Amino acid sequence: MSQKDEQIKNKGMKKKGLCRFTCTNSDCVDVGILLELGSIGAGHAATSLSEILQQQVLIDVPKIHNFAVHELPKFYHKHDVPTTAIYMPLVEESECDILLMLEVEEANKIAAIMTMTPSPDELDTPMRQSAIEELANILVGSFLTAISDFTAVKLIPAPPQWIEDSFDAIIDNFLIKQAMISNRALVFDTNFRTMDGAANAILMIFPSPRLQELLIQKSKELCGITEPYEPEIIVPEDAEVNIVGNTNQTN
Amino acid sequence: MLNSLPRIPLIRFWNNHQKSTMLNTTIGACIQFETMPCITTAAQTSPTVEEVRVDMAGMKVESKPVELVTSVGSCVAICLHDSTNKCGGLAHIMLPDSSIFPRENLPFKFADTAVPALAKAVRKISGKEAMLFAKIAGGANMFPNVRNDGLSVGEKNVEAVKTELANCKVKLLGEDVGGSYGRRISFNVNTGIATIRCYKGAVKRI
Repeated sequence: MSQKDEQIKNKGMKKKGLCRFTCTNSDCVDVGILLELGSIGAGHAATSLSEILQQQVLIDVPKIHNFAVHELPKFYHKHDVPTTAIYMPLVEESECDILLMLEVEEANKIAAIMTMTPSPDELDTPMRQSAIEELANILVGSFLTAISDFTAVKLIPAPPQWIEDSFDAIIDNFLIKQAMISNRALVFDTNFRTMDGAANAILMIFPSPRLQELLIQKSKELCGITEPYEPEIIVPEDAEVNIVGNTNQTN
Repeated sequence: MLNSLPRIPLIRFWNNHQKSTMLNTTIGACIQFETMPCITTAAQTSPTVEEVRVDMAGMKVESKPVELVTSVGSCVAICLHDSTNKCGGLAHIMLPDSSIFPRENLPFKFADTAVPALAKAVRKISGKEAMLFAKIAGGANMFPNVRNDGLSVGEKNVEAVKTELANCKVKLLGEDVGGSYGRRISFNVNTGIATIRCYKGAVKRI
């Protein structure tokens, strides 16, 4: 009786957990691991951003979204906002698309701070471009280093690619790439803000299924969970003896 | 639903830039710096015409005189116009071929299913069999430096749309495809004119 009650309670907790991750289809624990890895990376990235800007930087609680691919532009609702984006793909076995997106104005402000120019209007395009590329290099670099240090997975980014266009036009390229693999996409996203609200950067990551598996497996090894985790145990009503055995094993 | 939300970010952005663009603005035409982003709001283009946004993998058909708006990069926007009955529709497709996901229940995601479905929808609201004309835009390769094997997705999309239009016997009147920049398409269903604005400020009417 008490065993059953506990199990029902646990199921409830797990369902709450699912809501927090804004994820409905994926395994709760696996998503939790990815989210945790992302949070570690985002913390380091925020620190380095703060060092570049010499300002206090706030980060939003990182989120993992599990979207139907075509719903993403609707979710961000930034259709024609001019955006500066830096695309840094990961190469070799850990294939992954990383995007750092800033509104153009904000990108220019950051570039001005980085190059110590008094006003963003005085900067020419090549200078802005290389400043923002450098920013992405530093941010994504520290993000990946943190994850790589933790999980011992080799993550090698390709050189950054700069692009300035409207939000939808940039993002649909990546959505198409995701859509060719599956009709759902797992998107990790976090938001960096300076105190005065000058910079508002979105770091968006589309991990490939292979990289997801690799990171989850390595993290589980680290935590000592070697067996695949089963979040919900379906219990037949008349088999209480078996339940005790099962719960003991999992504990 | 989403279209009815206020467009605060766009308008705010425009206001911030208004001072600098005022210098280059003449009556009736807006000439902008090369680096100045060309973002248009409904108020700037034509205040009397309502704009309806079409989402990714979505479709809208209208018989009222509105502008159907969508933004594409590597995706392709297909505009179908029925000039006799003054109605039309716009579909925003993502991928060329639906055979890789046979169970997907989104006909407007794929070029080969979107064109017949759009033609059917336009004919349904007009109520009569009439000649349809098509205009397409998009199919850009946003990152030309990234290594591609063979054709890019944008090019494949455009090719698939053209073949499917030929299969459905819809005449292609105009196109603005390729390149490495995003496009904002506003398609007037009354006149059948599609206005394409690219980010750098160039405007093209087809």
